[in-house]
Parts: sequence; structure tokens; C-alpha cells
Amino acid sequence: MNLYLPIAEMSVSVVLMLGMGASVGFLSGLFGVGGGFLLTPLLIFAGLPTAVAVGTAPAQVVASSVSGALTQWRRGNVDFKLGLILVAGGVVGSFVGVNLVTVLRRTGQFDVFVSLTYVTLLGVVGTLMLIESLRTLKKTKAGGSSSLRRSGQHNWSHGLPLKMRFQRSKLYISALPPLMLGAFVGLLAAIMGVGGGFLIVPAMIYLLHVPTNVVVGTSQFQIIFVTGVTTILNATTSQSVDIVLAILLMIGGVIGAELGAAAGEKLRGEQLRFLLALLVLAVCFRVGWDLISTPPDVFSIQSRDSG
Amino acid sequence: MMRMLRAPDQRHVCIMALAALALCGLGLADDAWAQRRQTPPANSIEPRRGRQVPVTPPPAAKAKPDETRPPDVPTETVQADVSTRNVAVTSSFTGTEIVVFGAVDNSRQPGPGSGYYDIVVVIEGTSSRVSVRKKAQMGGIWLNTRTAKFDDVPSYYAIWSTRPLDEIASEATMIGYEIGFDHVRMTPAGGTENVGSSSLLPATDGGEFRKALVRLKTNSGLYVKDDFGVAFIGRSLFRANIVLPANVTVGPFDTRVYLFRNEKLLSQYNVRLNLEREGIERHVHDFAFGWPAIYGMCTVLIAMMAGLAAAYSSGKSLR
Repeated sequence: MNLYLPIAEMSVSVVLMLGMGASVGFLSGLFGVGGGFLLTPLLIFAGLPTAVAVGTAPAQVVASSVSGALTQWRRGNVDFKLGLILVAGGVVGSFVGVNLVTVLRRTGQFDVFVSLTYVTLLGVVGTLMLIESLRTLKKTKAGGSSSLRRSGQHNWSHGLPLKMRFQRSKLYISALPPLMLGAFVGLLAAIMGVGGGFLIVPAMIYLLHVPTNVVVGTSQFQIIFVTGVTTILNATTSQSVDIVLAILLMIGGVIGAELGAAAGEKLRGEQLRFLLALLVLAVCFRVGWDLISTPPDVFSIQSRDSG
Repeated sequence: MMRMLRAPDQRHVCIMALAALALCGLGLADDAWAQRRQTPPANSIEPRRGRQVPVTPPPAAKAKPDETRPPDVPTETVQADVSTRNVAVTSSFTGTEIVVFGAVDNSRQPGPGSGYYDIVVVIEGTSSRVSVRKKAQMGGIWLNTRTAKFDDVPSYYAIWSTRPLDEIASEATMIGYEIGFDHVRMTPAGGTENVGSSSLLPATDGGEFRKALVRLKTNSGLYVKDDFGVAFIGRSLFRANIVLPANVTVGPFDTRVYLFRNEKLLSQYNVRLNLEREGIERHVHDFAFGWPAIYGMCTVLIAMMAGLAAAYSSGKSLR
């Protein structure tokens, strides 16, 4: 069954789009990330215009994040204060990012820029997570403690002003690092069409030392806002949000997310991080391969209206 | 907990109902407007019909005296029409097939298979600016390094003819009437970086980009041709089935029908075909471009509701 998308101006298979939404939803439910970093390349791979893929993927992430954050909130795993600080930074980052997208699209290097950003970030985050999770897996096998949290640890960020107490996260740190982290993720969300969960989850664990159980819920809480704002900005600046495509992806996404969350209950934290690292690296290699391998056609065309 | 979740749910439903109502109202107003637009003005005769185009010899083609024609026989003219003048693009649109049919007035051909006349049907979609980019390897990475921009590039271009174009008339004639992929009107535009100046250029840089454009358009099914796509059914009647794919750009299509005899254009007839978004497609598109901020907010609202519904149903199943 095919459906004609009003904004993308093309006909897509409903089953394929539902399936894509479901598989990405499954992974996002499993790992607590939004899944935008998988969805955008998948949509481009399915033949959708890059602009529409980037513009529409965040809308699906809103749905899966609302669902995920509510589930985590029931378990008391959302630090609203920390989340709101991340949001404040995120909104600023989104504005900068959306404008940057407009500039990049004019130069014709948008696709390459998106790919390069993907490869770099996914490569770094994936490698770091892989190393850490392998180390932890080895340690747990040897009978050691698998806790990431080392109490009494102090680093450079403790010298910063605007110190705040985050009760849920059991932290007393400056508001500046989470603010900057939020802005950075908001910027990427706009450029790459992702919520930034795959960045913010490791960053909160390794940089801010937020307890792992609070990380997923809080990141999902803040991703709702970042992707929500990004969706509205994309709709106003480039008219690249396809609501019909978004609804298809959401339906698949929420179903997949429930299944993923159920599957996630059966795995340990470091096992999840190890699998997520593998996934991140796989996507990284796939996108990177397209950048360095000889393209089937060196020419490409772009109409003014289809972005 | 359940009550807390249900309350916002109802509020959302209310908002959505309001939004839906607003959309319907919008649609009604839209339709009324469209109907008014489609009503022909009273004083014009045959307002939606095609028109005969006076034939002027192309500047490049030499006027050839027609020896075969007795002086007292009336000139042949061609008339044509399309099966569907307004094609509706709805959510189930997967492309469409239209029939172009017509007749040669004062036909002197003995039968349908005699090959006395040649018909060429050209359908052109709306024109816009297109950038053609060429990738090159830089530091191990494939980057778009060169760009050529063309104005007035038809989004869709179909040529259907009774036999291959080079047999029907000379290259110069076809260039004059802009018939054929190599002669589609495309004006090199903007920064003259690496771009040739005219459509008649040989395979220089501009020609290379132009060729790539035509090739890519052909690959995506938007530039199509059929050398034997037009068939005579009788002495004067002919028809052609032309496919418009699903990825075609919505808008008006110019349909031109040419009548050739002995490499000479005898008559030309133009018809207009229209592809219009209808129903939900139209409303969504108008909404997205007319009220982009509200459209964005609605998308987010729907996403939040979907998430809420999922969390609610999973919460219920946990209990």
C-alpha cells in the first residue's frame, strides 16, 4: 500500500515507513535514546529528500521521548531541574542550528556536512562507549563493582560559578556545563535531525556523573523540548516537515518503543551500553563508507523548491 | 495517576477537534474559491479548450518549397485534446496515465499505416531553477565541487512521436521548436561558474552538466520519450498514451501537438493539462506553506499525543 506524501511530493510504501518507525522505536526503547540518528539516514536511504528526512525525523523523536519520559517519570527517574537547564541551552542551540542549515543548504554542501558530523560524532562516542563498556564487562566478570560513580571526585567543572543542587541526581555542580551541553545538543539536533540522545546520554554519564538510572529519563525529558522546538523551526524556516510521514513513523515508533523497553528490562547497564556502542559504530561506518567510496553518479540535481 | 493522565488527554482531544474543525472550514473556503476560479468568464468562447498555434518557420530552418502540394488543396491543421484536463493528486496518487488524442483536418493520407504525416506530442511540466552539482574527491572525501545552475528547466518533459525524431525533421527544425531532450529550453543562470552559455553548445562544460541533468531526470522517470508512441487510428485520427509518474511536480502542464509532413511543420496545437492537489493533500500542503508555525505546532502536538497514548496504554498493561 502506497501513500502520497504532501510535502515530500512522493509516494512511499506505508508498510516500509511503519517498519522503519518500529525498528527505530524498538532500539530507542531499548537504549533510551531518541533514535533520530538512525532514522534520518534510513529515511534518506529510502529515497526521501534529505531536507524532508532531517525535518521530519525530530517529530517522531518527540513521540517516542514523550512516551519514554512518562514511563521513566513514574519510576521517579527524571531530574526536572537538570532537564530544564539542558532545555534552556538546547533552545539556544536549536536557533543557531536551524539558521546554519539554511546557510549550508545554499552552498550545496549540506549533505556532506551532515555526513561528516555524523561520522565524527558517532565515531568518537561509539568508540568511547565501546571501550568503557568492555572494561566494565570485564570488571563485572572478575567480580568487581560495576558502578560508574566515584564519590568525592572533583574536576575542573567544580570551580565554575552558579552552583546548584540537583537532588534527584545527587549532584552539586555548576549550571554552566549542563547549559553548554544542552546548547551543543540543540545545535546538532537541528543540523542532523536528531534529538541528541546518543550524545547526551554518554555525556551525562561520563562528564556530569549523573547516576545512570536518572540519565535516560532526564535526557528523554529534555529531548521532547529540543526536538519539539526543532520541528516547529523546521516547519517555519524550510517547510520540510511532512506531517503524514511523521504520523506513519510515530505509529511504528511507539509500538516498537514498548517492545524495546520490555526487552531492555532483561539486560544490564553495561551490556546495553556495549550494544549501543556497536550500533553507533555500525551507523558511523555506513555513513563514512558513502563519503569515501566512489559514488555511482558524480552528478546530482537539486530543484529550488524540493530543497 | 490514571486520572492525572486522562485529564490532559481529554484536553488534547478538545484541541485536536478544534484544529480539525478549523481545517474543515479552511477546506470549504478553499473549494469555494477554486470553483469560482474554474468558472469560465462569460464572454470568452471555449475558455478551457486548447488553441491552434500559427506556424512560423523556425529561425534556423530553411523554408523549403513544397513541390508535392497542388496549389488549390486546403492546408492540413491539427487539433488535439487530453483525456483528463485536471488530474487530482490525492493521498493514493501513484502516477497517472493520460491519453492525448487528436485529428488532422483535411487529411490527405490514404490510411493509418501510410506514414504520410508525423505527429510529435510534447508535454512540459512547470519550469524552475535547477542546480546541477558535480562531486569530486578531495582529501579522500567526495564533495560537491562544481555547480551549474539552469533556469526554466521543465520539471517533466515527455516526447511522444510517430517515429524517431531525427527521421521526422532536421536537427535545426527540432532546435527551433525546442523538441527533444537535447533541445529542452534551459537557460544557464546565476554565477557563470563552469557553465556554457546556450543550449546549442557542444559537449563543453555546460554541455556536460546539461547532459547530466537530462540523464538524471531520465533515470527518475521525469524525462520520457517514446519514438513510436503516437499511432494513427484512421486517416486523420491519432492517439498517444503518456505516463505521469508519482514523483512528478504538481502544477500546470503544457501539451503541444505538432503535425509534420516532409520535414516541415504544418500545424501546431496547444492544450493545457493540470495536476492539482486535492482533498487532504491539498489542505496539508496549503497548511504547511500558509501557516508554517501553526503547522509545526500541530505536528508536535500530534507527536506528544502519540507518546502520551503509548505511555498510557503501556501503563495500563503494567497494572
